[in-house]
Amino acid sequence: MDNVYKPDLMEVTNVRQQTPDVKSMSLRFLDPGRARNFSFQVGQFGIFSAFGYGESTFNICSSSNWKDHIEICFRKVGRVTEALWRTEEKDVVGFRGPYGNGYPMEAWKGRDLIFLGGGIAMPPIRCAVWYALENRADYGDITVVYGARTVADLVFLNELDEWAKSERVRIIRCVDPSGETPGWKGEIGFVPHVFERAQVAAKDPVVLVIGPPIMIKNTLPILDKMGVKPASVYTSIENRMKCGIGKCGRCNVGPLYLCKEGPVLTMEQLQRLPADY
Amino acid sequence: MSEIISQAALRALATEWISAGKNVAGPARVKPDLVLYRPLRSGNDLLLEGYQRPSNSIKEFLFPKSEKLYGYKIRGNSIELTENDTPLAAQVVIAARPCDAAALPVLDHVFNWDFHDEFYNRRRAATTVVTLACIGYDENCFCTSVGLDPGSDRGSDAILFELGNRQYEVRCTTEKGRALFGGKTQKSDLTGRSATGPEKRFDSQVVREFVGTHFEDPFWKEHALTCIGCGTCAFSCPACHCFDIVDAGPAAGNERVKTWDSCQFSMFTAHASGHNPRVVQAARQRQRILHKFVIYPEKFGEILCTGCGNCTRNCPVGLGVLSVVSEINHG
Repeated sequence: MDNVYKPDLMEVTNVRQQTPDVKSMSLRFLDPGRARNFSFQVGQFGIFSAFGYGESTFNICSSSNWKDHIEICFRKVGRVTEALWRTEEKDVVGFRGPYGNGYPMEAWKGRDLIFLGGGIAMPPIRCAVWYALENRADYGDITVVYGARTVADLVFLNELDEWAKSERVRIIRCVDPSGETPGWKGEIGFVPHVFERAQVAAKDPVVLVIGPPIMIKNTLPILDKMGVKPASVYTSIENRMKCGIGKCGRCNVGPLYLCKEGPVLTMEQLQRLPADY
Repeated sequence: MSEIISQAALRALATEWISAGKNVAGPARVKPDLVLYRPLRSGNDLLLEGYQRPSNSIKEFLFPKSEKLYGYKIRGNSIELTENDTPLAAQVVIAARPCDAAALPVLDHVFNWDFHDEFYNRRRAATTVVTLACIGYDENCFCTSVGLDPGSDRGSDAILFELGNRQYEVRCTTEKGRALFGGKTQKSDLTGRSATGPEKRFDSQVVREFVGTHFEDPFWKEHALTCIGCGTCAFSCPACHCFDIVDAGPAAGNERVKTWDSCQFSMFTAHASGHNPRVVQAARQRQRILHKFVIYPEKFGEILCTGCGNCTRNCPVGLGVLSVVSEINHG
């Protein structure tokens, strides 16, 4: 029987603690055939499992150009993520996917890219940034504004430094007011305000904005003022999901099953949906 | 000419199926005031008169309350997965109501768009549905408002119509139905009939338009005030199919199962961050109506409701599709 719910087994090959409650992990398929044939698009997600505890949905935060492994990044907030938190190198976890639509990286070719991320929203932005940098000639200027509550909550900090070395890339780090440390060299303020202050000169850019609803809400008027059309503003709506394949009914918003027809939507699409996300 | 069978012969036939190794389920009285679709041990357990419809639906024979997806064993660092290879016996659901059978072709869509759920499909393939047309209806029935009727054979492999005198006309609509009844019926000139009601209670198009355009409306809040979020509506519905996937058994390794869930539960959509898109019961009530009358029709071309009335009949506080939707229709 073809079992759409049965996961692939993946070995944990690397674990990095990013913050006091966020870890990232590298995973490699145990089945060499599956490893060879596996491909995905940045922006897609997987359903990951800790056996004995359950399944959880995470973005695949590595670039789709990296062929030998995939990466995930999660905050410890519940039963499954606490079990994954205890997972070590050589342990085995489950993976189903890739699911969802992903970012239209082909359609973004030739455009300036602006990435705006808050907190744990960095992983789903990171995969697209790496992909764009690895195909640098295909894209225009790249701006990343990344903020978190405090300095200790910023993830993939060393990679931000690495990105900043590339040509035509501007990286802006920020923390919420009172989240800074004495030596903090980045900006202080919320992502939308910091982005506005930065006066990014982009011509007809594609904007990917992912973060808490309040951050997205306050970013939209600024993009509007810049003349960015809602059809050029993308986000990833990560509603709770279980099956990932359009059956269990959980991620349903208006006419969409976000696990299949999302999670990546433009603001133009989002504005037509009922506020059920 | 028609084909007929006596009630005694029908019971004997059901017993024959059971003896031949088939799983047979049908209405049975489990308590003085409770009729349920149940696995039957004999055709004599089958209840054919004296009730409107069972309090549950036949969906549990195709989409069980809890179903093993696969097993796993944890040994140190290694995980061993085991398939759910339990062989599936042929199954007959007998004396299903037309509003139960009609939900199956509707459910086929969601379990098969793009990804195929073979757990559902293999049970569907192994199941023959023998429907018993309704001769009556109660105040909660509204099949005629959603495009069906008490004699609808949609989703049925065979349908029985009462003739009086404990006899039924048998109309087989599929090969599976003919395989069950071939050679078991007698020729006759009699034809059975089904109830002519219930009267149309609402216009589903009006409902679709209202729900599609009144996402934010005090109506939902007023309605949800009495809802206790128990999920009985969804669990007794022939068409509701939301589920959860959870690990069952000891942490050292047992199995992962698909279990019934409901959009009426507060945790159904709760995000890990604490954010919940449907944080109040009003939003959850709205979702149930929206999914049945707008979303599912837009997606799959069919209303996700067969008018069985179970949600209203079983609701501890008198809500359910009919009460909510009638109010929409009559302002």
